[in-house]
Amino acid sequence: MSKYFANIYDTVNTLWTGMRITWGHMINIKRDNVTLQYPEERWPRPERNIGFEHEDYNVIRSRLHVDIDDCIGCLKCERACPVDCIKIDTIKAPNRGEDIPEVKHTGETSNGTKKAMVVSRFTIDMSECCYCNLCTYPCPEECIFMVGGPNSSKHPIDYEFSEFDRTDLIYQFAKKLSPEQKDGLQNPKPEAEA
Amino acid sequence: MGVVKGDQMILNIGPQHPSTHGVLRLEVMTDGEIVSEIRPHLGYLHRCFEKHSENVTYEQVIPFTDRCDYLAAMNSNFGYVVAMEELMEIKVPERVDYIRVIMGELNRIASHLLALGVYGLDIGAFTPFLYMLRDRERILDMFEYTCGARLLYNYMWVGGVSHDLPKDFQKICIGFLDYFEPQIEEYNNLLTYNKIFVERTADVGVIPADVAVSYGVTGPNLRGSGVKWDVRKDEPYSIYDRFDFEVPLGDGHFGTLGDCFDRYWVRMLEIKESVKILRQALKDIPGGDVHQMLPKKIRPPKGSVYRRTESPRGDLGYYIMSDGTPTPYRVKMRSPAFTALSVLDEVSRGWMISDVIAILGSLDIVLGEIDR
Repeated sequence: MSKYFANIYDTVNTLWTGMRITWGHMINIKRDNVTLQYPEERWPRPERNIGFEHEDYNVIRSRLHVDIDDCIGCLKCERACPVDCIKIDTIKAPNRGEDIPEVKHTGETSNGTKKAMVVSRFTIDMSECCYCNLCTYPCPEECIFMVGGPNSSKHPIDYEFSEFDRTDLIYQFAKKLSPEQKDGLQNPKPEAEA
Repeated sequence: MGVVKGDQMILNIGPQHPSTHGVLRLEVMTDGEIVSEIRPHLGYLHRCFEKHSENVTYEQVIPFTDRCDYLAAMNSNFGYVVAMEELMEIKVPERVDYIRVIMGELNRIASHLLALGVYGLDIGAFTPFLYMLRDRERILDMFEYTCGARLLYNYMWVGGVSHDLPKDFQKICIGFLDYFEPQIEEYNNLLTYNKIFVERTADVGVIPADVAVSYGVTGPNLRGSGVKWDVRKDEPYSIYDRFDFEVPLGDGHFGTLGDCFDRYWVRMLEIKESVKILRQALKDIPGGDVHQMLPKKIRPPKGSVYRRTESPRGDLGYYIMSDGTPTPYRVKMRSPAFTALSVLDEVSRGWMISDVIAILGSLDIVLGEIDR
């Protein structure tokens, strides 16, 4: 009999203790509020210099981006990717380090490296990407990075990109080449002697 | 007089069921409401981790280890890199060791917080879950600040870590610990000592010590049965032999030794021990370059290694076999949650269906690790 009442006492007592805690938080709702009205308000993303080559390299992994004018087509990022979501095709440039205005190809990267390849295709399937960041480290020109990286002023952090169609998540970075232009690069015509 | 035996009913729980903690299907044979047998069906989350590892390079395996135990990805990374370093005979700088221990213990707290909160949810207490997730969020924020990811980090590399700690990390982390330690008492008042919770868990699903050992149950589940076995203490890896911490054991706090409450209670005590380790590690952390010992090319010599580490779920082992090429010949993962699930049938016999949910929750399984 006494156990019966002890049980009731325990239950009421522990329930009261628990309710007191939740009520305490309810009364101090202004102080203890941890949620945000999401689409209107957002948590700030942490920004910091990671001391890894770049001045203002952000560690946040939100989306891959490529500065295609700096890409030399070395395929190192393609090989580093564990899920093979990066696909690159290259065509040998006729003259190393020279601009080809017809296909908007620049001959030199911003670091001054002469390009030997024209990148005809550079696609990243972000629906396959596993955000491991392994592709960004081997890049010799540091042109592939998670958005918010070296050019964070140019590319704002974009962590909630969404599309209506899955194919829209395949990002194309290379400049569009028509089949004739590709053919012209692969089989350069001997220049007419004057 | 023969025993009157009713027809058996087969009850199917899962694969899409909130209390199976993932995609697990349980085929429960019941006699009335009493469970007579449980057949777990696995494999809904099978992603060929071990076979896949044979086709990628050693550093590319690390993102896949993240995805095995996704609630404690740092500890999954930790086990793999410790095994690889033993195979390649790399001695990492002190700072790397300290950073790894800090990250591993923070992730242990985060994982235990989720385990305890979700356990309350299984039993029917909703509020503690929100409180624990609120604090887990702060740990994930620290991870995001350190390495840029919140859940799947790819932070520990063979021979180092990907990024050094931020300059003010020490301050942030100690600030968090100061805030967090009083919260443990709040959880206890809110959930642990609650009479309804105790009635649901105490004396339920007792795993005796000999059964736990014979099934190979490890981690908090084993320590809840009163067996003192912690890889961090008994077979120290990394720098765990430098820290002063206790191995909490179940003591039949409200019922029998090895019941669901003991397993819950051991996790709660382990959080306190992790806080202790964190404070020591944050005090002693030396300076240095975290990229100093990164090998140019990971190509270990011929041979094999087995190294086990203590993940939040128990004894996490990696067997790595190398044939001298840049890709592993074989990677085997010994998963603690898998053995914890195997004991479910033996323990749940004779209990009611609602108790099966309590037992399953107390084992704290992660299906990503069971199916791999």
